[in-house]
Amino acid sequence: MNRITRHALAVAVAISLGATVLAHHSAAMFDDAKVVEKKGIVKELQWTNPHVWLQVVVEESGKKTEWSLEGGSPNTLSRQGWRASTFKAGDVVTVRFNPPMKDGSAAGQFVGAKFDADGKTIGRWQ
Amino acid sequence: MTRLLSAAGVLAGAALFWAIATSGIHAQGSRLTLPDWTGIWAMQGPTVFDRASVQPPNGRAGEPGVRETPPYTDEWEARYRRNIELVRQGKFPDPVSTCGTPHGFPRIMNVPDVYEFAVTPAAVYVIAENGPNVLRIYTDGRKHPAAEDLWATYNGASVGHWEGDTLVFTTISLKGSKDSDVIVDRTGLVLSDASRATTRLRKVDENTMEAQMVIEDAKALKTSWTVTKRYVKQPPGTWAWDYACAENNRNPIDASRRTLTLGPDGKPLDK
Repeated sequence: MNRITRHALAVAVAISLGATVLAHHSAAMFDDAKVVEKKGIVKELQWTNPHVWLQVVVEESGKKTEWSLEGGSPNTLSRQGWRASTFKAGDVVTVRFNPPMKDGSAAGQFVGAKFDADGKTIGRWQ
Repeated sequence: MTRLLSAAGVLAGAALFWAIATSGIHAQGSRLTLPDWTGIWAMQGPTVFDRASVQPPNGRAGEPGVRETPPYTDEWEARYRRNIELVRQGKFPDPVSTCGTPHGFPRIMNVPDVYEFAVTPAAVYVIAENGPNVLRIYTDGRKHPAAEDLWATYNGASVGHWEGDTLVFTTISLKGSKDSDVIVDRTGLVLSDASRATTRLRKVDENTMEAQMVIEDAKALKTSWTVTKRYVKQPPGTWAWDYACAENNRNPIDASRRTLTLGPDGKPLDK
C-alpha cells in the first residue's frame, strides 16, 4: 500500500483519536482541552504496545528538543489505517498534540499530523 | 415371535441409548446447537462502566468530576467520592498500567480494543484483546467450587447454562478492590470482595452482542445493580492481535501514585 493510499485510508477512518487512544492508563496527565502544534523531523515511530510513540525533533530558537508523542495501541491504530511505516525517520511533519497537564515536559498525547512532503494528514486534523 | 421380540429389543435399546445420550448432553449443560458468535467485536462507546447513569451524560472515565450512580452504601459512596477526588488530582492510577495484572470481572466486559466470543460445547471464552484477558465460563454442568476450594481472583469463577441462545452465567469469588488495586473504571468505581454477578450474554442481532450484568455486593451495594454493555461486530476480515502490555510501557506509576511519561531513554520526562 503506498503512502497516499495509506493516508487516505487513515483519514477516512480517523476518529477522535485523542479521546480514545489511551487504553492502558488514564489520560489525566494530558490536557485534552489544549492542542499544541509544532513542526519537526520524525526521529522514530515506536510501533509497540501498549502505545505507539512518535519521536519528533523540533528546533526552536536554535535549540533542538525531542518530543515524545503517545498514541493508541498498534492494534487499534492498524485497524484505523496506520502502519508501522506510516511515519519514517526523516519525515518532516507538523504535529498536533495535547500537552502535559502541569509540568511542561516534552511529551504529549498525539492528536494528528500533517506531512510536509505531500500535505497529507493523519489522525484528527481539521 | 423370536424375530418380533428381537426387533422390539432393538427398538427399546435404541430408545434407551437416545434417552441416555440426550440426557447426558443436557446433564453436561451442553446443547445440540450452539449459537454462532463468530467475528471480532468492539464495545460500543467509551469505557464508562454504567453509561446509563454517568454524569455529565457524555463524561469519560478518567476525566475529573465524571461519576456514575451505583446503589452504593453510604460507606462505599464516600469511598467513591474520595476516588473521584484522587482522579481530579491525577492520583488514581489505573492498576493495569503496571502491565502486570488483568482487568478482572466485571471490568473485562468494559475494555477498549476488540473482543472475541468463543463458544464451545463445554465452555464459552470471552477473549478481550486489551489486557489481554480471558473470561472462562464453564457450561458443562459443573457447579461453582466449594467455598473451601476457592480463592479470590481477578476474573473469579464463572459457570453458566444456555436459555435458548442466551448464555446465563454467574461469577463469584472476585478479588474486589482493597486499595484500588482492582477497579471497575477510571472514574474511581470499585466493588468489594463480596461482589458477584449474573450475566445474560446474547446476540441481539447479526451485528450486536449484549451483556446484561446484574451485580450484587453485600458490602458495597444496597441493592442489585444492572449494567448493560453492547458490542458491535467489526468488518469481516478484521484481525485481533497480541497486546503485549510490557513490551514498551513508558507509563509507570511513581510512589506518589502519579502516572509518569518516560522518554525514549527510559528516564522520566515529568518535571
